Amino acid sequence: MTPPIGSQLVDLGSALLLLTCFGIVAQRRLSACVDLFALQSIFLALTATLVALLTGIHHIYIAAALTIVIKAIVIPRILKKVIERLNVSRELVMNINVPASLLICGVLVMVAFLITQPIIPFGHLLTRDSLAIALAIVLIGFFTMIARQKAVTQMIAFLVMENGLFLGATAATYGMPLIVELGVFFDVLVAALIAGIYTNRLQDAFDSVDTAHLSELKE
Amino acid sequence: MLNLLWILLGGYVAGILLPLCLPRQPKAQIITTTAPAIVSTSTGVVLGLLGLTSSDPITGSLASTIPLLTFAIRIDPLAAFFVLTISLAGLAASIYAIGYMRHFDGHTSLPVLGALFNGFLCSMTVVVLADNGIFFLIAWELMSLLSYFLVVTEHENAEVRYAGLFYLIMTQVGTAFIILTFLIFFQEGGSFAFDAFRHPEQLLPENMRTIAFLMALIGFGTKAGIVPLHVWLPYAHPAAPSHISALMSGVMIKTAIYALIRVYFDFLGGQFPWWWGFVVLVIGAVSALLGVMYALMEHDLKGLLAYHSVENIGIILLGIGAGMIFQTYGLKEFAALGLLAGLYHTINHAMFKALLFLGAGSLLYATHTRNMEEYGGLLRRMPWTGACFLIGAVSIAALPPTNGFVSEWLVFQSLFLSFHIPDTFLKLILPLAAAMLALTGALALACFAKAFGISFLALPRSTYARHAREVPIPMRVAMAFLATVCIALGLGPMVVVPLLDRVVAPFTGVSIEGQVLALDGWALATVNVEFASLSPPILALLLGALSVLGLGIVAAFGGLMRKRYYKTWGCGINLTPRMEYTATGFVQPIKRVFSSIYQPTVKLETEFLHESQYFAKRRRFEFHVEPVFQKYLYDPVLALVTALAGRLRVIQAGSLHLYLAYIFVTLIVLLLFSV
Repeated sequence: MTPPIGSQLVDLGSALLLLTCFGIVAQRRLSACVDLFALQSIFLALTATLVALLTGIHHIYIAAALTIVIKAIVIPRILKKVIERLNVSRELVMNINVPASLLICGVLVMVAFLITQPIIPFGHLLTRDSLAIALAIVLIGFFTMIARQKAVTQMIAFLVMENGLFLGATAATYGMPLIVELGVFFDVLVAALIAGIYTNRLQDAFDSVDTAHLSELKE
Repeated sequence: MLNLLWILLGGYVAGILLPLCLPRQPKAQIITTTAPAIVSTSTGVVLGLLGLTSSDPITGSLASTIPLLTFAIRIDPLAAFFVLTISLAGLAASIYAIGYMRHFDGHTSLPVLGALFNGFLCSMTVVVLADNGIFFLIAWELMSLLSYFLVVTEHENAEVRYAGLFYLIMTQVGTAFIILTFLIFFQEGGSFAFDAFRHPEQLLPENMRTIAFLMALIGFGTKAGIVPLHVWLPYAHPAAPSHISALMSGVMIKTAIYALIRVYFDFLGGQFPWWWGFVVLVIGAVSALLGVMYALMEHDLKGLLAYHSVENIGIILLGIGAGMIFQTYGLKEFAALGLLAGLYHTINHAMFKALLFLGAGSLLYATHTRNMEEYGGLLRRMPWTGACFLIGAVSIAALPPTNGFVSEWLVFQSLFLSFHIPDTFLKLILPLAAAMLALTGALALACFAKAFGISFLALPRSTYARHAREVPIPMRVAMAFLATVCIALGLGPMVVVPLLDRVVAPFTGVSIEGQVLALDGWALATVNVEFASLSPPILALLLGALSVLGLGIVAAFGGLMRKRYYKTWGCGINLTPRMEYTATGFVQPIKRVFSSIYQPTVKLETEFLHESQYFAKRRRFEFHVEPVFQKYLYDPVLALVTALAGRLRVIQAGSLHLYLAYIFVTLIVLLLFSV
């Protein structure tokens, strides 16, 4: 028996999110990374809207709208500004090269599915399959933070993780309570601002936004 | 009783707070910090005596909001005895501080020194009174930390800082083992109240008991300074201000003895296999002998005294170890005798070691040096200090009529009683331990012949010594007080033994007071009078009579007694300090005899005159004793730890990505683990 069409659509949206994740991992140009992140946020908002339509829970609409405003418009702008100011157009420094990264990300997706395997049958929401994908996105975001040197990319990776968490929350419980989500958005915005300031400081201190320089602060 | 306890604690708190609130007036600060301490310690003496004579333990407790912790106090005879010991030594140290703290004016903050001093005394008192494991540990840790701060009083000096660090590390390691000991008891009883440790629901399994025994031995042994955990002691004790050294050597290391007796005889119920006592006995014998041997090679007076603390802890453990062995074989009277001897030596050592450290402090005060080679001729310049130091030296060398003699005699007797033990091996071992103790006693005598002779007799060997003056009155009073206590404890065993018997009786189940005191209390006997007995007062009288007799004979047959004061006859040459025995020269024979233990390294440099190589211009002689334990035990361990830490440093690369990777890998592993 196939799952209902709504559920399949939600799965599709989640899959698109995952796809953009891989795009971010594979992309060498920073501005393209930011665009991909904005695209991912739009997909996320669409998926959330779909869930809201299917379940009739209204506050998910608000969350989706906020996602569009903050994650698809405001934060990408901040990031673009940072990139322009810093003159880093290409992400040249990678701890792990692209093919290896993609392979590892593939493994991470499998790990995510493996972990959620015992949990999923217990769920009876139409979004339950998205949980595995959400976890995969979180893991990939985390991995990207490790695999890329530049502060800007790390910030994008952090935001990707946040997207994954949001998707996970939507998938597991049809979204967190509204107040929590508002708080989270605010947090993410502040985090983005702080990260912007931090990259500027890095630039001033080391003439580069390569966080590897931070190891010089040891001792 | 409990009111007295409040007075005692209140006094210490006042001594901590008052000087800190005062303006910078050295005199006022000293008085406000020592006077409450004197009040508190006097109260402690009364409290100790009351606790020793009361029939039931006195208890009191305050609940706390922290789970498992109650501020419970229990004064049973054992605790009371230690409160008495601590307070007596503390009283002397407080009186001494009135004069001695002036020595630090301008170097250190007097209020801080005074507050630490009071806190230190208070924490020691609480350690022996505590009736709850966590409360005990808090007090114990306070005691350790406060004494650390006191050790580093003169922190400008790199050596002092090193000593402090060494002490801190060792004492923390010790505390870790103590915590483990208590956790073993806690695991079984489910409570940290000492009562639960004492009467567990079911007895601990045998292997757990063994672990508890070893942990307690290591943990408390570190504080007591048993070989080979003693290495910090010769650094830390001399580094502290003298009245603190007196307390550290005199009573702080005794809190470990208290705790050992508490754990072995009280918590573990005095039920143990024979090898426990054997281990304690062997450690005691080795500590006693090595302690005195290293003391002989020390020419820093306070360092010498610190090594003697190791020796005396060894003697105390010999008594306790013998008691434990007898306990195993059910020879209750002998067990009681061994314990009693150990405890008697505990209070004696507290008194004479405190006295000697105060004496050393007076010498330091007068000459500003601790090096014995720079003393000499001080007896004429400082007669009070000299006389008190002599009494202390005679006590520690265990000569009659002083207290050290009585307690060491008792330890000897309890070792000789080993022929009652059915086990052949132990029958041989205990007399061997007695032989080691005998050698220890002889070496201690040599050591104090050196310490007193080189410091006080002959001609001054430095300008410092030449200009030494007698110390202020409070310091003299404190020393005279302790000297009096030493003599009194030596002459009055008929008073001391019944009190100690009350301490020991609950643990062994027999009272031996009647058997130890023969001749209506005028003589001491071993548990069976036929074996050996001794009467300190009569002995003292005999000694007095003999000296009078000797002088009488001289007066009768010595012809005309015309006194003529003249310089020592030097065959026509004017004597100079350079002709005297030095401390190094004095111990040369002993160094030769035991060179296998000392592993000495000798350096001799001679500069000759240009004109002729037969005339030496200068000679430099240096010799060092090999610090065996540090070289072969501590340094390898230290190197190992450092190497491991170096390995660990690799993961501390300072790279953000690496740290993120740690978190990430941990996360993945945990997630997979949970599947």
